[in-house]
Amino acid sequence: MNAPGGSLLVAENLRKAYGPTMALDGAAFSIHPGEVVAVMGPSGSGKSTLLHCLAGIVTPDSGSITYDGRELATMNDAQRSQLRRSEFGFVFQFGQLVPELTCVENVALPLRLNGTPRKQAERTALGWMERLEVDDLAKKRPGEVSGGQGQRVAVARSLVTSPRVVFADEPTGALDSLNGERVMELLTEAARSASTAVVLVTHEARVAAYSDREIVVRDGKSRDMERVV
Amino acid sequence: MSLRQSSRDLGLGVRFAFAGGREGWMRAVLTALGVGLGVALLLLSTALPNAISVRHDREQARLDWSFTEEPPTAADNTVVIANTDTTFRGKDVRGRLVEPEGPRAPLPPGLSAYPAKGEMLVSPALKRLLASDGAKLLRERIPYRITGTIGESGLIGSQELAYYAGGEGLFAHEAGSNVSRLTAFGNPNPTPEAPDPVLALLNIVVIVMLLMPVAVFVAAAVRFGGERRDRRLAALRLVGADGRMTRRIAAGEAMAGALLGLVLGAGFFLVGRQVAGSVEVMGISVWPSYLNPSPLLAALVAVAVPAAAVLVTLFALRSVVIEPLGVVRSAKPTRRRLWWRLVLPVAGLAMLYPMLGQGRSNGSFNEYLVTGGVMLLLIGITALLPWLVERCVARLGSGGVAWQLAVRRLQLSSGTAARMVNGIAVAVAGAIALQMLFAGVDGQYTKSTAQDLSRAQMQVTVPADAPMAATVEKFTDTKGVRKVTAVWESYLGDASWNSENGPQLAAELTVGDCAALREVAKLPSCKDGDRFVLDGSEYSVDGPKMNVPGKMLYIESPTSGPASAPEKEATWTVPAGITQVRSIEDPTGSRRGGFLMTPAALPKDFEGMVRGELYLSIDQSVPDAFEYARNTAAAVNPLADPTAWTASTTSDKFESLRTGLLVGAICVLLLIGASLLVAQLEQLRERRKLLSSLVAFGTRRRTLGLSVLWQTAIPITLGLLLAMAVGLTLGAILLKMTDTPVGIDWSSVLSMTGAGAAVVLVVTLLSLPPLMRLMRPDGLRTE
Repeated sequence: MNAPGGSLLVAENLRKAYGPTMALDGAAFSIHPGEVVAVMGPSGSGKSTLLHCLAGIVTPDSGSITYDGRELATMNDAQRSQLRRSEFGFVFQFGQLVPELTCVENVALPLRLNGTPRKQAERTALGWMERLEVDDLAKKRPGEVSGGQGQRVAVARSLVTSPRVVFADEPTGALDSLNGERVMELLTEAARSASTAVVLVTHEARVAAYSDREIVVRDGKSRDMERVV
Repeated sequence: MSLRQSSRDLGLGVRFAFAGGREGWMRAVLTALGVGLGVALLLLSTALPNAISVRHDREQARLDWSFTEEPPTAADNTVVIANTDTTFRGKDVRGRLVEPEGPRAPLPPGLSAYPAKGEMLVSPALKRLLASDGAKLLRERIPYRITGTIGESGLIGSQELAYYAGGEGLFAHEAGSNVSRLTAFGNPNPTPEAPDPVLALLNIVVIVMLLMPVAVFVAAAVRFGGERRDRRLAALRLVGADGRMTRRIAAGEAMAGALLGLVLGAGFFLVGRQVAGSVEVMGISVWPSYLNPSPLLAALVAVAVPAAAVLVTLFALRSVVIEPLGVVRSAKPTRRRLWWRLVLPVAGLAMLYPMLGQGRSNGSFNEYLVTGGVMLLLIGITALLPWLVERCVARLGSGGVAWQLAVRRLQLSSGTAARMVNGIAVAVAGAIALQMLFAGVDGQYTKSTAQDLSRAQMQVTVPADAPMAATVEKFTDTKGVRKVTAVWESYLGDASWNSENGPQLAAELTVGDCAALREVAKLPSCKDGDRFVLDGSEYSVDGPKMNVPGKMLYIESPTSGPASAPEKEATWTVPAGITQVRSIEDPTGSRRGGFLMTPAALPKDFEGMVRGELYLSIDQSVPDAFEYARNTAAAVNPLADPTAWTASTTSDKFESLRTGLLVGAICVLLLIGASLLVAQLEQLRERRKLLSSLVAFGTRRRTLGLSVLWQTAIPITLGLLLAMAVGLTLGAILLKMTDTPVGIDWSSVLSMTGAGAAVVLVVTLLSLPPLMRLMRPDGLRTE
């Protein structure tokens, strides 16, 4: 797949093996600023590995990943961490909120990691929690809120640094359909309003329906799908 | 509830303990390892009394003193034995010269036959030492040919250095305290020693304080993997298990870990027993066979450990509600109450209070009250610490991200953090209290020797038959000897020493050149041929009374005594004009009395009848200077007795108790360190996914590492502060009980606290590499 012009994040010919298992076998990917791209595929197809490679969490065995014209392979661990802190946001299936921090502290955490003073970070965090309709949970701990509420807190956390790309790995996988839809609405609305690109890993067609484009990963290979409306 | 149902639930728990693939096994093995280490230490403690008693019995069985007032006469069932103990580079070597006087001469334990003259039987450890490269000086000192080894029954430890060498003509030196004629070895009528109440108290407190942290450790070990177990129990609730069933299943799971731990512990103990046979700590070693646990105490350990595991698990589950849809720990845990936590230490104080001021002269301390009181005070720490940690962390404000992550975690689960440092806190509190007690009563067991180390650092007693001038010359020529002050001594009496009643007046005779005599008396002038009589001695006051011109005085010969036939009766008639001089403190710190003679003034008949006391000034910058001096002593005469001087001596029992404490404290700290590490790793493993996701969104590894450090440092600081408070209180009470003034040696308090803190620091450092591994993105993978 040739990368279209103006792409923010481009990956080509990615290969990644875990022992004898080939997780990625020549996968390719691209995304424009503000675009929402769904990465679909059955369990074990390699879609999460693709997301981890794109986000600089996992280094592929071969192939190239370019973010905003910069090759990820040329960056060291500290530079990739810096990139993730400032340019990327993340939402995982189970939220992965820090259980001992309150919800507002969880949302403020990426800002604090970037050196923003606590009060300012929490003010910004509260603003995002308001947009995600969870500002009333600010003082509660993750253990005290429902799954859907926790996932909305996680979405707020992924957006709080105004990242250019949000990586969402099965963000509704642990939620019922109603809650899942609400989370997706809020995520895509907030992302589009901020021109944030979203890489959305899912195996559910109704979740993928929130995307602008779909890529299917199967046996470690990716394929662009034509959207049938 | 039927018994069958209960056992089925327990059995299910046992199965769960080992289910769950590699991770399940790992968890079970970690628990078992923890329990096993604790069990091994408990078994060692139960075996120690036996080891001490066997060592004592063997020591008694080989005693080679004459227990009768009159030594037996030579016969075919007697042996003459001479003590030739020596020291080699700080290690004691038990040496004996033996001379059987007939075919029925008794054999000491461990020997099947006596060595011939010039030959020796040695302990295995001495054989190894003599064969080593660095033992040239010792080989020169003990030059006999090795013809065999001493059996285990003749040694008190596997690493003891000992030898029996064949001698000749030993009885000629019988008057010296180092030579005895025996018809049997050992004390035929051993009288039990009255126990010293303070030493007995120290004994009890040492044992309790060493075992308490082990108990705390075992309690912590059975809770490894607790969170995962709770989630499993929730799944069981979903399929119909009720609350009681889940508790029984949890109990079964804990029991399985504890039982496996018992097996491992027994294994560790057996291996440790063998290892113990090849090590020596502070001069004490044992044979593996000494370490036999008392069957009753071993059985108690076998029952108590699994029972404790079950009780601890059930106690831990009391605040957890396991619902079918998950584990509910109250998000805002109920605040810990102080009152019942205070009851424990207060009850401990109440048990110790009646014994305050008792001292050592009012009989033994009530061991039950002491044990109970000390235990309650120390358990009080484990009860108070969670409350203290909870209260303190609740007040901590926000700081950097690492600090915030740590503080919030502690606020949410302060109990886990407190449990982790409980063991260290108990051990440090115990060590502080014991250190105070040891320091306080030290003066009662450590005596100043009065030896003047600025004048000499070694004393050599030389038998009477050594030639005076040649002996002094040999020592003067010895490498590392700066100065030799030689005096020759015997006793003078106003009647024959062989007469029925012995002399009525007796005084010392000291012979030496003017320089040597000036070390013992203030001489107005002195030249060879002069004689003096001493005044000013505290104990020997007969000298001036015996200084009557024309009076005949008898010298005590090396073989004097009613039982021995007088070989020669040497006398001296007191001449007129002997100057009376004032005695001064000699290098040993005593003021002597009697007569002083320069060598030319010594009657010819007295030569060979005076034994030498040589005070050596040693150049300690010369390596092995003391060893060279000891070798010269052995070359002069194998029965010469060199002694390195010290400023003080300490009671053997006190010293061995202190050694025991040191060894025990090291074992306990290592054990607690291991437990901390396992608990830390387990917590990190539980948070693997969270750690990976934090790294995924850019958290620096340094931030997470620091947060782990704070999570340990905050509770340990609080734990050590509490330990100091309890330790100082307990120490003060124990000192009051022994009627000793209360004093605090802050340097040792701080060193104990520092040791505790160091263990935590080392554990944190050791847990950093696994932490780094757990932060890898692999943790995010779900397939």
